[in-house]
Amino acid sequence: TTTRHVDMGKQEAELAINVRKATSIDETAPKRKHVRACIVYTWDHKSSQSFWSGMKVQPILADEIQTFKALITVHKVLQEGHPVALREAQQHVSWLDSLKRGVGGLGEGTKGYGTLISEYVYYLQAKLAFHRQHPEFNGTFEYEEYISLKSINDPNEGYETISDLMTLQDQIEHFQKLIFANFRSGSNNECRISALVPLVQEAYGIYKFITSMLRAMHTSLGDDEALEPLRERYNGQHYRLVKFYYECSNLRYLTSLITVPKLPQDPPNLLGEDEERPGL
Amino acid sequence: MSKVVRSVKNVTKGYSTPEIKVRNATSNDPWGPVGGDMAEIAQMTFNDSQTFQHIMDMLDKRLNDKGKNWRHVLKSLKVLDYILHEGSELVVTWARKNIYIIRTLREFQHIDEDGRDVGQNIRVSAKELTALIMDEERLRVERQDRKSWKSRVTGIEEF
Repeated sequence: TTTRHVDMGKQEAELAINVRKATSIDETAPKRKHVRACIVYTWDHKSSQSFWSGMKVQPILADEIQTFKALITVHKVLQEGHPVALREAQQHVSWLDSLKRGVGGLGEGTKGYGTLISEYVYYLQAKLAFHRQHPEFNGTFEYEEYISLKSINDPNEGYETISDLMTLQDQIEHFQKLIFANFRSGSNNECRISALVPLVQEAYGIYKFITSMLRAMHTSLGDDEALEPLRERYNGQHYRLVKFYYECSNLRYLTSLITVPKLPQDPPNLLGEDEERPGL
Repeated sequence: MSKVVRSVKNVTKGYSTPEIKVRNATSNDPWGPVGGDMAEIAQMTFNDSQTFQHIMDMLDKRLNDKGKNWRHVLKSLKVLDYILHEGSELVVTWARKNIYIIRTLREFQHIDEDGRDVGQNIRVSAKELTALIMDEERLRVERQDRKSWKSRVTGIEEF
């Protein structure tokens, strides 16, 4: 009796409509209610296969805005959908790749989404590669204590995982800069800004993870020197993330949707257990 | 007017008593849900399993309503918050199992005819409720102590 009672057949039929509407031709954000329906579908059915087949029958390649909105929708489903969505997505990497060859992918595209599409595909492929290597992470990298504990037991693996997370963080940094650089004056840029939303959230999840893992490793390893390269990279990433969030906080459309995380100006100290830990 | 239509619908659609209770508490009226209604619904979650199911299914339906019915969504979050504290332990189990329904409301969007962003309250409520449901310890403490959460879930004034 604690399970939702939904009409599974009806949902299946409605999924195609939601996918179509989320990837409509209008230069706006993918409508949240349609994206949400796709996400909820994966939880109710514990499957994302119909979502992918729904995507593949859409004529999204014919229009760069539709392609870009499809990528945002896919990203949101990977983040918020049932964990199975992340696993099943691995079978669709080559389809993602094919999106680079659409209208938008050939040069800049008339509406200026060409490079953004290629970079988005590149980022999602990197994300999926990470999740393939590290299946213990969920789509938004939300903090789970046991993963930090696991890394302490095996410092080599921990080091590797943090490095991989940092590489992904650099890729987010690269992609968000490109989105900002592609803003067009005289436009509300809503469609482009809506791609920043999952990036803001993902970067924060990664940041929190790296922070707590690095702390745990400093405590258990007691070898500050060995971790010096990671610390240096961490500090650099911290300052870049502060700048990214500052720029996002000036985008009214974005701040009306999500709360942009507030980071301290300087990176928190990762050494010393008793020291007060600045809030994230 | 909407009240009359709702009571007619309650009869013609053959809704059960618990369903009617939830429908009334989460209606489109610009006030409520009132504490009395929420307390009554909370009490009913301890009844037989059919009653429980009717309550949760109706809340679920309201939570997934479209933007125009944003009051349904907002009030359902309030009712859910209330019965998570005062209702049966089964409500907690239901909420944990179906957290994605609430979690995904954190980005709810709707602009009304006057250009007002009426989604804001829903986004805030969904965020608070998600955090609460995921924090087992806090919810357990709050279920034992009414004072700490009561101010958050009393009836909504005119909005």
